[in-house]
Amino acid sequence: MKTTTTSLIGTRMTRIGRIKRILIYLFLSVLSVSSAFPSKNFPADTITDYYEVETIQMPKGLTAETDGLAIMPDGRIVAGFHRGEIMMYNPKTKTWKLFAEGIHDPLGIMAVSNSEILVMQRPELTRIKDTNGDGVADEYLTVTDDFGLSGNYHEFAFGPVKDKQGNLFIALNCASNGAGIFPEVRGKLDTLGRPGRMYSAVPYRGWIMKLTPDGKLHPYASGFRSPNSIGFDANGNLFASDNQGDWLGTSKLYHVQEGKHYGHPASLLWKEGFPHITPIKLPVKMLDSLRTVESVAFPHSRIADSPTQPVLDNTGGRFGPFVGKMLVGEMNHPYLVRLMLETVDGHIQGACAPFLVGSGLRKGNNRLAFAADGSLWIGQTDHGWAGDRGIQHVRWKGKVPLELADMKLTPTGFALTFTQPLDAVTAKQVANFQFKRYYYEYHEAYGSKQFDVQPVAVSNAELSADGKTVTLKLSELKAGYIYELELGKLRSTTQQSLLNHLVCYTLNRLQRNTQANP
Amino acid sequence: MRKYAVVVLFVALCGLKIPVALAQDTTLTIRAIEGLKYDVPRFVVRPGTRVHLTLDNYDDMAHNLVVTLPNSRLRVVNTSLALGDQAVKLNYVPRTPDVVAHTATVDPGKSEKISFVLSQDGIYSYVCTYPGHGFVMYGVIYVTRRPATVPPLDKDPNVAANRKDDMAGHAGHMPDHPYDLKYPAVYRTFMPDSGPASIAVGLTPKQAYCWDAGSCRLRYAWTGGFIDQSDHWDGNGKKPTHVVGDVYFRDQGGFSIRFGTADRLPEVHFKGYKLINRYPEFRYTVNGIEVRELIKPLPTGRGLVRHFSLGAVSGPVYFACKSGDGVKYRPSVGKIQDGMVRLPVGTRNFTITMTAE
Repeated sequence: MKTTTTSLIGTRMTRIGRIKRILIYLFLSVLSVSSAFPSKNFPADTITDYYEVETIQMPKGLTAETDGLAIMPDGRIVAGFHRGEIMMYNPKTKTWKLFAEGIHDPLGIMAVSNSEILVMQRPELTRIKDTNGDGVADEYLTVTDDFGLSGNYHEFAFGPVKDKQGNLFIALNCASNGAGIFPEVRGKLDTLGRPGRMYSAVPYRGWIMKLTPDGKLHPYASGFRSPNSIGFDANGNLFASDNQGDWLGTSKLYHVQEGKHYGHPASLLWKEGFPHITPIKLPVKMLDSLRTVESVAFPHSRIADSPTQPVLDNTGGRFGPFVGKMLVGEMNHPYLVRLMLETVDGHIQGACAPFLVGSGLRKGNNRLAFAADGSLWIGQTDHGWAGDRGIQHVRWKGKVPLELADMKLTPTGFALTFTQPLDAVTAKQVANFQFKRYYYEYHEAYGSKQFDVQPVAVSNAELSADGKTVTLKLSELKAGYIYELELGKLRSTTQQSLLNHLVCYTLNRLQRNTQANP
Repeated sequence: MRKYAVVVLFVALCGLKIPVALAQDTTLTIRAIEGLKYDVPRFVVRPGTRVHLTLDNYDDMAHNLVVTLPNSRLRVVNTSLALGDQAVKLNYVPRTPDVVAHTATVDPGKSEKISFVLSQDGIYSYVCTYPGHGFVMYGVIYVTRRPATVPPLDKDPNVAANRKDDMAGHAGHMPDHPYDLKYPAVYRTFMPDSGPASIAVGLTPKQAYCWDAGSCRLRYAWTGGFIDQSDHWDGNGKKPTHVVGDVYFRDQGGFSIRFGTADRLPEVHFKGYKLINRYPEFRYTVNGIEVRELIKPLPTGRGLVRHFSLGAVSGPVYFACKSGDGVKYRPSVGKIQDGMVRLPVGTRNFTITMTAE
């Protein structure tokens, strides 16, 4: 099956290549008109007009379940695989070379220098270094192993990411009741942590940890189920994605702050000063009151089933019009998720939308890294779940598609800013903005249905003078709901059609000056 | 409705479940298991059989089971992906005539029973239409009066690829890595009878040991092979790695090195390892004192030579080498007394030779 898919993609890529060449000629001939799609009869543009996806040839014999991926200072791609290989890919020569072996699930890699990397593997954060200059690692030194390990297969470890002060952050997955624990564990075993679907029987499963430059590992924030993975935004805020399951009605992205708890109760067992009890036995209302809610909820099967690493577009515009914003990988869909965050009433919240749909991107998008040239490298895995295997490389082709660039809450509705000026007629039709709202319940059972699903009418749509921003007035705005917006067939004045029509805004808080019924 | 006692014949070699030929009702349980699989890859019934099927979810994620008409599985899967916001409410099952029967979404640990009749001959499917699962997680139902015409499992084009791999044996002829494994070889993996942070070291293709990075000590050693990780590598890594060969040494005495007094267990921290000609030299601290340990095979016979280097120690150093763990100990310095070697004061380097008894 895999072979068939690959060859189909291969054919499509060749075809796209040919179309691309034809398009380039066309563009050259119409450049003087200064619009990308001047003719109304010109075929509708697609994402492949703006982004190209290259599938990297993997070494023969490699089971390419890509765990971790990073960019070396010299531009090589370093990737870790499920069977313990850490390999370097030279994009110029398109060749692979083995760097290190025998790592237990290298789910996170950070480049230190051209001969040294940090690797988050199951048992430790390890500094792996080539000390004799032969291009192969010979030193594997422990940076930290100061966390528990029960032998449960679901105790993955993610990160590291580094803040501006030089602290490293790692994230520790809970164990799963799909299996037990080893007769011997590392760290203190507490059987009160065993009940529950995802559990934390050794410290600090379900926590994000901070490693200070003195080498000490500190518990930082709790309440995570499967935090694959973590990343910073442009302002240095730390974010973690978490996966739908018990206590997560749908998948989420949290703004992680020191000392806070984010809702999956198992980890509370290891919170200093917390009563020595099985946390899930506390009343749901009490657990609910202890948690900090997510910045973004990813509606299940609509946006994401299994979100992965958040990564900041810090390319200075070399990856297209979404610079300064974050992308999140997604395992079960052949696309990424694009975030549009803002601070409302002192808290970060915002919108998410599918990105690169139909580009030739596969599923299993587990790790994302921007190279110095502004292109995006994506490591893919399935790891026994849904996904694909291998590495793909995404380049922006230089033209700006018509996409929603930003979504901001206003006291009366939302302001939508697009990448191109909109055709005024369609942009002012309220029928082109179909809202509904709903919420997911916080409870122990796996996942949640959508509660209180209601359409929300748009009473007015105004277009800004520059044609890029539509300000929508909604009949009702309510905190605690996800606002799902289906955009109609909007067009730009450059005759481009809107590529993605779905966006979901997590409305935790209203603007301070919001009226009850705007 | 009358129910017949049903005997299910399991033909182990071809992985075929054939309910007894004359039964008009048949009952079976299909488990959803890790790795997006149903444990039953296929089964055969006679036309007109009423099937009472229980989906029992042994996995750690939600699944359903949708029975589809011949040649319609992919159509159903693709339709289910287009259900949009109706998906959850419909249990990811499209309302099309292609669907014969289906369960709701079954949460991990839960089960659901459905009943349906397949009256026409044909090759039907059962598939999980939970998003992302449908292209890999499915099985096949042969409705036929002639079960002998069903192809062998490994040649059955209708069985899911991930089930055929299982039946064909571990990874078959696929290589483990994009290179031939060189010895000595080091793997961090889940080893049996050791702590969860263990290291398997293959000194040669036939001599190996397990070193526990949690408790910083040699746990056991074996000859005859190295390790088989195919179970651990499969799916999401639930099963441990297997030892290949015969274990001749298994540590009984706990951590070996003692400082100051012979009977007090020290505090240890694993600091990593350096590869020297591919042999790992482990680094750890014992009560804050750095220790290095490099293990080589005996030049001949079964056994290990362990080279130790110590940081500066004030006071006596002991090395525990209790008998009864399968080997005879021979220290390079000092003498064994009551299962303990007292190293001469100032010893910084020593070897312990362990020979299989």
